[in-house]
Amino acid sequence: MLKFNRVSQLRTTYKRCLAGQSQLQLNPTDAEPAYPEIQDTSFKARKQKDAANWHEEIRQVPTVEEKMIKINIPRYYGFKVVDFNDSKIPYNALPLTQHYTRTVLEDLPSKSAKTQDPEQKEQPSEDALFTAARGDVIDALEFAHDYYKHLEKQPNSAEHSPVERERILTQIIVEQLNRALLQSLSEEYKHLDEVEVDYNPRHEAFWAVGGVDPPKNVQKSKKGREWQKEMANESVDRLVQYTGAPYLALRHRKQLSPWKTEAESENHELSKQLPRFKHDPRTLGYSTKHQHATNVPGYWPRGNEHNFGLLSFQSRAHLQLRPKSYGEQDMLEALHSLAIKSSYAWLLAQANYNGFNTYNELTYPMNTQTVITNGREWSFYEYQLNTLLLHGNNVDGNPRVNFCRGTKPLPLYAEISASGKCVDFNDNALRHLLNFYANVPSIQRSIGEQQPYVASNVSGYENAEQRDFISKTFKYLASNRPRHLELPEIYLWEKLYKIDNNNRAMEAKRRFFELDINPWQRTLDTHDKEYVPRALRPDVPKNKNRFKKTYYP
Amino acid sequence: MSTRWYPIYQRGNPQLRVFLPNFWMKLIRPTEEQPPNVVTFSVSMEMTKYDVRSYLEKIYKLPVVDVRTRIALGETKKDQTYGYITKKDDVKLAYVTLPREESFVFPDFFSEKAEKQAQEEKSLDESKAGFRRFLDRNKKRPGTPGWFSI
Repeated sequence: MLKFNRVSQLRTTYKRCLAGQSQLQLNPTDAEPAYPEIQDTSFKARKQKDAANWHEEIRQVPTVEEKMIKINIPRYYGFKVVDFNDSKIPYNALPLTQHYTRTVLEDLPSKSAKTQDPEQKEQPSEDALFTAARGDVIDALEFAHDYYKHLEKQPNSAEHSPVERERILTQIIVEQLNRALLQSLSEEYKHLDEVEVDYNPRHEAFWAVGGVDPPKNVQKSKKGREWQKEMANESVDRLVQYTGAPYLALRHRKQLSPWKTEAESENHELSKQLPRFKHDPRTLGYSTKHQHATNVPGYWPRGNEHNFGLLSFQSRAHLQLRPKSYGEQDMLEALHSLAIKSSYAWLLAQANYNGFNTYNELTYPMNTQTVITNGREWSFYEYQLNTLLLHGNNVDGNPRVNFCRGTKPLPLYAEISASGKCVDFNDNALRHLLNFYANVPSIQRSIGEQQPYVASNVSGYENAEQRDFISKTFKYLASNRPRHLELPEIYLWEKLYKIDNNNRAMEAKRRFFELDINPWQRTLDTHDKEYVPRALRPDVPKNKNRFKKTYYP
Repeated sequence: MSTRWYPIYQRGNPQLRVFLPNFWMKLIRPTEEQPPNVVTFSVSMEMTKYDVRSYLEKIYKLPVVDVRTRIALGETKKDQTYGYITKKDDVKLAYVTLPREESFVFPDFFSEKAEKQAQEEKSLDESKAGFRRFLDRNKKRPGTPGWFSI
């Protein structure tokens, strides 16, 4: 019976085929067949396509939180990242910083020089504002120093290192100056009434950089395979994680207006002139660590409020720890690179809350202002973020560049005299600071334009379990806490007698490294699901819904 | 400076001694690509960063910007006969950063020798190939002398 069935099936298909053929012959008008596009099936092209597909998948993910989870899915124990923080700048770090942030560095055109010019007539209100602010700032400075002295005199105040001392004093100065300036300027500049002030916020950002030479182990493994030999020296993306905590940051719901046009930002010639640092960043003194990708601009993601940075005050206390042999020039470059990386990272984190990330390009420029200070010396920087694409071939192919422009460190005052009075106050530095506060954020986009890749938000999800899962996972990732079960360890005796030398060939192979398991390769979603107690699922059969669902994007 | 403890003089010991420093530095070829202003040294295990810096600055008058050190684990090797494992000593490596305009290229002393060897090998290979061709040609007429050819 069965045989007969098969034979009859074959017969029918044969007949259908014949019929189809005859139809084809009968229909000569279909002369031009539409062939699918011929695809490049080489290994490299397939890899690039896979990567592009993954980036597209990330773009399609509807919420900001889920995008972040999606980026983190490949690694359960975190990515191996270059530790880019705000408290370590090695010697000659500027070229690397420029390469890793695709930034062109320029000098800040001095608006203040114009206003200082006696021939130009100033607006009387501005001048009055300046003199009022000047008095307030001097008062604030004197108060801050006085308060710091008082703190030091406290009987149970601990002995601080010079770095800590600078940090504490500068924190007080910055907070007082900010208070004084907000107070004296907010009448004239209404946007200052609406700013959100973050004290010591967490600024973190994650991105991928292309155009760096591959590490030794990658080269070696590729050279070991005949067909990969020629790819052994091709560059491999490095993942970068910035971690920083400025003294103070101001945010506003509107954006600062850009100071470079679209045409200026898209300049292939300029992008080719950018410095390249092809060597491993460890050769310069940076270290690596394993960490989940986090993008934190100082607050949790939420709708359309205060999503754009206005001004941040960065610390330069750690620069004291740099040896004197680095020299004056390198000190200046260190300030530049600190400004570049902190501004880039903050803007990237803000962009991330608007749905962009290192794999999905920005659709509009973003700007911020950065001040680096130790209380006395102040350097002022403006940054314009035009592009986030730095991974893979973008180092050559991306015509867009980011811009940073800044000043040298300017002293705000010479010293505070023994009687607590401010000596030799520098009006020029104050004018720079006032200009930053007076820079009115004016650009407001519709929500669709501002967040083109964000389709919904987590609070809009109807499934409470899903909401809970996403916010829990996202907050865990952003917390930077280690996994509660640590990575399996390879003991030294195992390295010597099992891995490096095969001295225990007869032993049963039970350890992970003997079973070809790489714990670093474990993905975020490979874990046991959470058990739901029987009492919580009364209406379903005993063996159903025993585990909680997961909602990884 | 030396941290070596010399034996206390006992009567009858030789009077004249040569005091050798136990601080030494050996230039080594870097295993990974690094910026041209970084030089790699293998140094005595007792030396600290500060020792490395003052060694280069005071003795060789080099402009040292920064020194980073690490200790590399020595290689282990299995004994071929008895199967026990031996380990080479750990080494301290010092990465010395010079001012950015300086550059250091590790000298290549043996390039000529390597070239010569390569040439010799090439000629040897050629003669081997020639002989193989000759054998191939005379496959069907064994014992024919080399000068006999059509």
